[in-house]
Amino acid sequence: MATASSRNPVLYRRRVSRGAKHLMLIGFGLVMLYPLLWMISSSLKPEELIFREPGLIPSEITFENYTEGWDALAHPFSYYLWNSALITVLSVIGNLAACSLAAYSFARLNFPLKKLWFALMLGTIMLPLHVVIVPQYIMFAQLDMINTIWPLILPKFLAHDSFFIFLMVQFIRTLPRELDEAASIDGAGYWRTFFRVILPLCTPALATTAIFTFIWTWNDFFSQLLYLNNPDNFTVPVALRTFLDSSGESSWGPMFAMSIIALGPIFGFFLAGQKYLIRGMATTGLK
Amino acid sequence: MVDSLSLKKPVVTPPAPARGSGPVVNRSRREALAAYAFLIPWFVGLFLITVGPIVASFYLSFTNYSLLEEAEWVGLDNYVKLFTEDPRFWASLKVTAIYVVVSVPLQLGFALALALLLDRGLRGLSFYRSVYYLPSLLGGSVAIAILWRKIFGADGLVNAVLGLFGVEGTSYVNNPDTALSTLILLHVWTFGAPMVIFLAGLRQIPSSYYEAAAIDGAGAVQQFRSITLPLLTPIIFFNLVLEIIKSFQSFTQSFIVSNGTGGPNDSTLFYTLYLYLKGFKHYEMGYASAMAWVLVVIIAGLTGINFLASKYWVFYGDSK
Amino acid sequence: MRSLKTVALLAAAALTLTACGGGDGGGESADGKVKIRFSYWGSDSRQKLTEQVIAAFEKKNPNIDVVGEFSDWPSYYESLATKVAANDAPDVMTLEIRGLAEYAGRGALLDLAGKVNTADLDQEVLKANQVDGKQYAIPTGVNVFAMYANKAVLDKAGVELPDDKTWTWDDYIKLSAKISEAGKGEYYGTEYTSNNPTFPTIYAAQRGEKLYDNGKIGISADTLKAWWGTFLTMIETKASPDAAKMNEIIAGGVEQSLIGTNKGAFGMWWSNQLGTLSKVSGSELTMLRMPKLDASGGNGMFLQPAMHWTISSKTEHPAEAQKFVDFLLNDPEAGGILLSDRGLPINSKVLEAIKGKLTPADQQSVDFIEQIRSELTQAIVPPKGASKMEDIIKRYTEAVTAGQQTPEDAAAKFLEEANAAISG
Repeated sequence: MATASSRNPVLYRRRVSRGAKHLMLIGFGLVMLYPLLWMISSSLKPEELIFREPGLIPSEITFENYTEGWDALAHPFSYYLWNSALITVLSVIGNLAACSLAAYSFARLNFPLKKLWFALMLGTIMLPLHVVIVPQYIMFAQLDMINTIWPLILPKFLAHDSFFIFLMVQFIRTLPRELDEAASIDGAGYWRTFFRVILPLCTPALATTAIFTFIWTWNDFFSQLLYLNNPDNFTVPVALRTFLDSSGESSWGPMFAMSIIALGPIFGFFLAGQKYLIRGMATTGLK
Repeated sequence: MVDSLSLKKPVVTPPAPARGSGPVVNRSRREALAAYAFLIPWFVGLFLITVGPIVASFYLSFTNYSLLEEAEWVGLDNYVKLFTEDPRFWASLKVTAIYVVVSVPLQLGFALALALLLDRGLRGLSFYRSVYYLPSLLGGSVAIAILWRKIFGADGLVNAVLGLFGVEGTSYVNNPDTALSTLILLHVWTFGAPMVIFLAGLRQIPSSYYEAAAIDGAGAVQQFRSITLPLLTPIIFFNLVLEIIKSFQSFTQSFIVSNGTGGPNDSTLFYTLYLYLKGFKHYEMGYASAMAWVLVVIIAGLTGINFLASKYWVFYGDSK
Repeated sequence: MRSLKTVALLAAAALTLTACGGGDGGGESADGKVKIRFSYWGSDSRQKLTEQVIAAFEKKNPNIDVVGEFSDWPSYYESLATKVAANDAPDVMTLEIRGLAEYAGRGALLDLAGKVNTADLDQEVLKANQVDGKQYAIPTGVNVFAMYANKAVLDKAGVELPDDKTWTWDDYIKLSAKISEAGKGEYYGTEYTSNNPTFPTIYAAQRGEKLYDNGKIGISADTLKAWWGTFLTMIETKASPDAAKMNEIIAGGVEQSLIGTNKGAFGMWWSNQLGTLSKVSGSELTMLRMPKLDASGGNGMFLQPAMHWTISSKTEHPAEAQKFVDFLLNDPEAGGILLSDRGLPINSKVLEAIKGKLTPADQQSVDFIEQIRSELTQAIVPPKGASKMEDIIKRYTEAVTAGQQTPEDAAAKFLEEANAAISG
């Protein structure tokens, strides 16, 4: 193979350019990876060395931060992982279901006042969150939902996040109209067209939605702190902050160690979702 | 602004018999009914949980509201004060504008370039994609603050490298002249989200288009210009609109890197950070609400322009 | 149509913002216990101690169920204010001195005078922490803002520990410059602090001025100029690192401070931070009196309450809440668990009872405070609006040290902005 390709100038050039591409990607990847490597390295250092020793390679390796961090809080860390997982999974389901319904309607159907509703939908993401925190809390308090997971997942099932609606609208609109028309000629109603034609073709958009919802919910700190303020309900991001004390002694080592563990589920989800992310028109075989 | 959303030229003219071959009015009525049915969850959400707080914040923008006492009506006072008496408002607007103008094109450019590079044709792509997405996973983690100091601090990586060439650097994160630039870099560095969206968009383009083009003898560059780019415009448009909105609302990065102060000397005082300080640290939620609505007007204006301009460069699969 | 009605109702409800309270503001739980909520901030170690104290209290009061609501410090006031706004305030709230007048001045707190047993508490401290003559809050304990010296760095530089009874700002800066010179960039004489109103308070007190005086800024432009002058001199003489590097060190907090990383001989910190500083540095640290204007003057140092126990004015269970605060303040068992976690107790009996259990670092702080006790004054509760001050002080100090503003210019603008902040 090697000799064949080195003799064939086209193949040879392609190999060189491919090698250069890889080199570039790896070099750039190292820059991207530096923070994670640093965190892993810090999590393996004895705590007092984290700030005294600047280098990436620990002079002394210990797993103490992991064992200590796992049991440092009121519950073992798995408890918080479970709490987070519950909220996150429900959020993903909610967003996928509610946002895709709304998106199909906005992207494909005609109805009175459509422009108004669409503008309103986009408008809701323009208001900075900080000024709606208080009214929202008052509302959920009156609905008697404080210290339950409802304030966190109900908005997802009610398509509160316009980002994803708009995202799916844009994806659906890249699909050729002939597809729906063909389906309707075959006798499919709106629901079947949506479910059988549009949704499968939107796999990349659905995967994107799932991945982002998972990551953003998993990392969302303040609303989880606010609505689940009983330490028994704490989630991962809230638990991670308790390792830090801004005026006194922070447990940096355990914080980094548990952060690495907390990255596991989101990274895993990203890897799994990636498969669907790249399963677009190109692979579904539709013409 | 959503003019282009409506179907202008149906490709298949005869209405499908299954949807009733009755009068057109009847059909459009059924379509409208279906549309509203699909939107039920969204409408419930809009009226149950979204609109109330938004209306409340609008009302609060005309009040003096400390959070700890009841709101007191002051009319336009907050808005007047904002435009005439508050230099920090203008300063934060300027910081934010620079941030948006510089970081949005840079980030989107990076994201698009890498998405094209990572789309297909190379072994180990899923590995690279994951690696490049990692910084975005870390997101608003407190570790970022420490990390940024590790890189751009007085004894950080950048200075270590510069030191090799005999250049003596400063603490870039904490120097009023350079602090904002480091936050722009931080933003560009977390290009994972738009990259993933671009990737998904690229996968939406039917491979048959490329095959057909290849048969016609189109080269890679030509394929990119006549297939990839036009078909990707709705996604580019999405990323552009959303990144502008998100960058105007940018908060977390400055909050964690500057310890919630927007320092040094207001050099990283993002608009939303100032709004947050006003509302929750200074107990002036009425004032903060007024700031929020000023921002809504700015963002809505820009988004409107974006939508108008989109008619000239965005191509939808449903309107050809 | 129904949804429209709901909107109207919700919008109206949100608009009035009076809120007749979320249902879980308190009340009896299913088992007939009275539930009270208790909010505090901190880290995992404090959470553990607090849960122990709550358990001890519940054991003695089986009919009361205390629910701790805990958050990290940066989000504490944000979430607390949100709850108060929603009429969903915790019954017992921890505040600190900067937030005290904001809450007390707006009627959010209950007057505790005569409701909690204060017989064994330091009466002077109690009195100093009143707002408008009312005891809305009782300090959990006290601290002192002092100068720390790192023995290891002093030894390396070959410098003796200065005499803190007579040393002046001049002495301090000159000595620091000398140490920096010996350190050749490896270590410095001192670090400064710009994000803490305590330093200017002490500096002003030495010149006979108060930071807050009858609802106005009492510090003069001259004093401000002189105070910023000390920063500029430190930077110029290289007694401290340059401004950008100092901003970075300050942002790093106590654990990444120069003195904590053995890169600085001096630094100003609270007395309760000795434990942390000793641990991260691993060196012997000494607490010193602040440098003075001149050798014979006062040092301007004062007793600062670490935090305050307060009770919400809207509580449905004042009796139970008072009982809990009483327990925290007066019960030796509570004191024995909390030790110095929230400052050194101001209850003389509790302090006596726990002295033997304190860590060596805390013991050292107690000794230091007792040694200079007669020289200390009381903290002044900052007026309503003063929560902006920290931000204002930091910002102008950053502008001056970066050379973006002259001290004269900054002083005038500072006074204007600070006065406006606390008058509004």
